[in-house]
Amino acid sequence: MSDNKKIAIEKNVVALIKSGQIKMKPRWRFMLGSLAMIIGLVALVLVLIFLISLISFSLRTHGPMGDIRYQQLISSFPWWAPILALVGIYFGVKTFRKYDFSYKKNFLAVVVVFLGVILVSGWLINYFGFDSVWLKRGPLKGMYQQYDGGMMRGSGRGMMHNNFK
Amino acid sequence: MIDLKELTDEKIIDRVINQDQELYREIIERYQAKLLRYANYLVRNEAEAADVVQNSFIKAFINLNSFKAKLKFSSWLYRIVHNEAINSLLKNKKEKPILEGMDFSDTENIVANFMEQEEKEALRVCASKLPIIYAEPLILFIFEEKNYEEIADILRLPIGTVGSRINRGKILIKKICQTIKK
Repeated sequence: MSDNKKIAIEKNVVALIKSGQIKMKPRWRFMLGSLAMIIGLVALVLVLIFLISLISFSLRTHGPMGDIRYQQLISSFPWWAPILALVGIYFGVKTFRKYDFSYKKNFLAVVVVFLGVILVSGWLINYFGFDSVWLKRGPLKGMYQQYDGGMMRGSGRGMMHNNFK
Repeated sequence: MIDLKELTDEKIIDRVINQDQELYREIIERYQAKLLRYANYLVRNEAEAADVVQNSFIKAFINLNSFKAKLKFSSWLYRIVHNEAINSLLKNKKEKPILEGMDFSDTENIVANFMEQEEKEALRVCASKLPIIYAEPLILFIFEEKNYEEIADILRLPIGTVGSRINRGKILIKKICQTIKK
C-alpha cells in the first residue's frame, strides 16, 4: 500500500472534519436509540405475552375437542394472534442479535429463555385466571369477549352465546 | 505539553470528543496502515481497501460518542472496517466460495510446525485463497496479532467459534500452501 494513499486518507478525513462536513452525532442520540430499543423490546414482550394468553384463553374456553367444539374453535379462533406472535418473536430475536452482549452468550440459550419467558407468562395469566377477570372488565374486555368460547361460563351457554349471537 | 504518542487510544478519543476534534488525526496515523492491510486482505483490491478505510474513519468519527469504553477502541475500529469491507464485498460479490473437499482432520502439531516454518509473506498469499469465514479470524490472529477475545469483539462471534475457525483456517491454509508449492 503506497504512502500516498495513507496521506490522502488522513488529509481527506481531517479536511472533512475541519470543514464541518462530517460531524459527531451527540451522545444523547445513541442513548435515545438504546432507550427506544429497550422500550420496544419490553413492549414487544408484553404484546407477545398477551397474544399467548389470548390463544390459550380461546383454547380453554372452547373446552374439549368434540366435533362441534372443534368447528366452533376453528371459526372463532384468533388466527391473527399466533401469526402476529411468530412475527413478533422473529423481530424480538433479531433485536437481541443487535445487542452487544448477544455474541458473547450462547445465542440459542438467549432465544430459549426469551421464548420461555413469553410462553410461561402467557400460561401463568391463564393459570391464575387473570384472563377471566379481563373478560369482565378492563381495556381488553372486548377482545377477550370476542374470542370467548363460553365453556368457562357453564354448560352449553358458550355455544349458545357464540352460535346465536 | 502532553506527548500524544504516550496517550492511549481511549484517552485520545476522550480528548477528541471533549476538547479538540483535530486530534483524530493521531488516531488515523496510528491505525491507517494496519487497517489498510486488513481491508486489503478482505477486499483484495488496494483502491477499494483505501475507500473502505477512509469510509471507516469517517463513520467512526461520526459515531465516536457510541464507543463504549468497556471495549478496546482498536476492536471497535476494526469492527467498523470489517462491516465496511463486507458491504463492499457484497456490493461487488467477490467473496470466495467455501472450498469443497477440504477435510478437517486433527493435524494440529503438523500445522503448528508448518506455521512456524512458513514465512508470513507466503502465508499472506495462501490466506488470500481462503474462504473469508476462516481467512478473517486467521488474518487477525496471525498478521494483526489480535487475541481471541479481541477477534471475538471484532467479528462478534463467541470465543469458541473464533478458536475453531482459526484452527480450521490453519489446516486449510496449510493445504492451500502445499497445493501452491506443487
